[in-house]
Amino acid sequence: MNLDWSIVWQSRGALLEGVLLTILLTILTMLIAIPGGILLALMRLSRSSILAGASTSFVELFRNLPLILVVYWAFYVMPVLLGIELSPFTTGLVALCLNVSAYNSETFRSGINSIRKGQMEAGVALGMSRAQAMRQIIFPQAWRRVLPVLASAWVSLFKDTSLVSVIAVGELAHTALQIRSQSFRVLEMLTAMAVIYWLLGYPQAKLVDWIYRKFGITE
Amino acid sequence: MRKGAGEPPIVLYENVRKRFGQFVALNGVSAQVNKGEVMCLIGPSGSGKSTLLRCTNGLEKIDGGRIVFEGESLPSDERAMRIIRRRMGMVFQNFELFPHKTALGNVAIGPTTVLGMNEAEANARAAILLDKVGLADKAASYPANLSGGQQQRVAIARALAMEPDVMLFDEPTSALDPETIGEVLNVMKALAEEGMTMVVVTHEMTFARRVANWVVVFERGAVVEQGPPTQIFEAPHSARTRDFLSHLGWGG
Amino acid sequence: MDFDFSPLVESWQYLLGGLGITALLSFTTAVSSIAVGLAVGLVRLYGPTWLRWLLVFYIDSMRAIPVLVVLVWVYFAVPILTGLSFEPFWAALFALTVHLAAYVAEIFRAGVESIRPGQSRAGLALGMSRRQIIQQILLPQAIVRMLPAFGSFLSVTIKDTAIAAVIAVPELMRRAETIAGQSYRPVEVFTTTMVIYFLILFPVTRVVDSFYRRVAHLGRS
Repeated sequence: MNLDWSIVWQSRGALLEGVLLTILLTILTMLIAIPGGILLALMRLSRSSILAGASTSFVELFRNLPLILVVYWAFYVMPVLLGIELSPFTTGLVALCLNVSAYNSETFRSGINSIRKGQMEAGVALGMSRAQAMRQIIFPQAWRRVLPVLASAWVSLFKDTSLVSVIAVGELAHTALQIRSQSFRVLEMLTAMAVIYWLLGYPQAKLVDWIYRKFGITE
Repeated sequence: MRKGAGEPPIVLYENVRKRFGQFVALNGVSAQVNKGEVMCLIGPSGSGKSTLLRCTNGLEKIDGGRIVFEGESLPSDERAMRIIRRRMGMVFQNFELFPHKTALGNVAIGPTTVLGMNEAEANARAAILLDKVGLADKAASYPANLSGGQQQRVAIARALAMEPDVMLFDEPTSALDPETIGEVLNVMKALAEEGMTMVVVTHEMTFARRVANWVVVFERGAVVEQGPPTQIFEAPHSARTRDFLSHLGWGG
Repeated sequence: MDFDFSPLVESWQYLLGGLGITALLSFTTAVSSIAVGLAVGLVRLYGPTWLRWLLVFYIDSMRAIPVLVVLVWVYFAVPILTGLSFEPFWAALFALTVHLAAYVAEIFRAGVESIRPGQSRAGLALGMSRRQIIQQILLPQAIVRMLPAFGSFLSVTIKDTAIAAVIAVPELMRRAETIAGQSYRPVEVFTTTMVIYFLILFPVTRVVDSFYRRVAHLGRS
């Protein structure tokens, strides 16, 4: 077993680009999946059974599929269905957004439902509409419950971006695996990949713990 | 002569029916609330008193009969109902103050959100009302830092901020420690003396005896007896009223 | 847009075999993750301090590193380090267990910590030893409290087996990929695969939920 760790240092540029792409994917996905999740949650809680049904179907579908399968499906089927060629990056982003929106919608829904029914009634008794009561009374209370779960979802998403490597999106996992194939430095690159994910992910996980402590349910 | 008898009633209940699935909560209840009257609804738990109250401001929809408020039947359209709710104030058993707002914020939220009042005016009105319920010094406090009795008084001020024509109280003191019940009942008594029309679901018989102008006794979704407190508490016509009161240890 | 499901029809046995591997890998991973996870969870709560630190480090690290990375590392790097070679299935079983046991340990910890401290105190007042308290009072309640999370644990396990496709474990995902590649009919193949996974995963949480509802009262204190 002869190891040559210099390959890691030599590839630092490519690895850094991979890291940046991982971070970019995570940020973009959350930017879409948070409003997406709120929309789906409100649809599911609405009085229209069509909206509620559509939202429930969407959410149940994407919560019950392996993400890696959704990535492949998006890659092969979307061009056929939509008739346009999307870049792997966009395809991966779409798959991630579909998946994370579904999860987030459940987070928002249970956050909203966790607020006592009497709060909505008190608002309605004052003459507010349901929408007004949602905005003024329910949401301000619900976001405290929702924030820690969203933080946790962020960290999971960060890890899940590694799955879009299978359709050759140049994030960290794909980059590291490419360098491994080209250089034959298997142990070194795989270990470096794990260590880099650890260095990025560990502080995030600790941050999530802190958020849970700070915003933990006080009621 | 019953108080307010010369004028049309503020609320009229005509044969009101309400079911929850198989359970009949209200089985043809008829009664009326006159202007300036304090009407107390008493009776065992589950007898329909709270349900009737919640039907009055449309939190529950009735299944039969009608409820007439200030001369008009309650609409079935939610948007129209919302406008009517502005003229009714409701105080809940567990206060339901908004925990993310101060006492002042809670009292002002109705005028700002629903009446479109500007913040300064709403806050001024809120300050006056908090003073009226004896909590001027707690204006900046959050509900978590207030006792139960204080929270309920803020809740009363919050309902009053909308300047309603009738105040609906749903067991306002049932969730309070005995020491704090008095402060809330005093506020309600003062409100009654000012001439506010009030419908109060309560287990506080002393309050009903002293402050109510009209008492309605419920049992299993129906009105068993109704009349002035002197009748209900001292010379009830119905054996069921007598049973209910003696169960509570009411000796007069 | 024409659809041709014939490649699926022809290879249905191949796919079914893949489904069998998925089921087998899911089951074995679930069992081993629970066993290891509970052990880790117990030591993490009640073991000697130095060991607790080590286990917390392990658990938190698994929150930071993706499953894919662990899978690939176990399959490709461990043979280089140790000279042993694994078959993909065993590598996947090992890697998935390492990753999921941390998750189980955390569920366990949350379950135990949600039990009111008064329960332990009641045991102490009766004269029980620490081990008896853990065994007789805390553990049974903790296990009931963990049940709701169990449904999502199973769901995650089954979904993670699909990632084992990247190290050529012949489970359903991998075999679907193969057929899609050979037949040039990815739309039909992947759509069908999605339906199959959905039909497996959708009932899993429901069944666990309904079971939980029946025994929930046993964990309430």
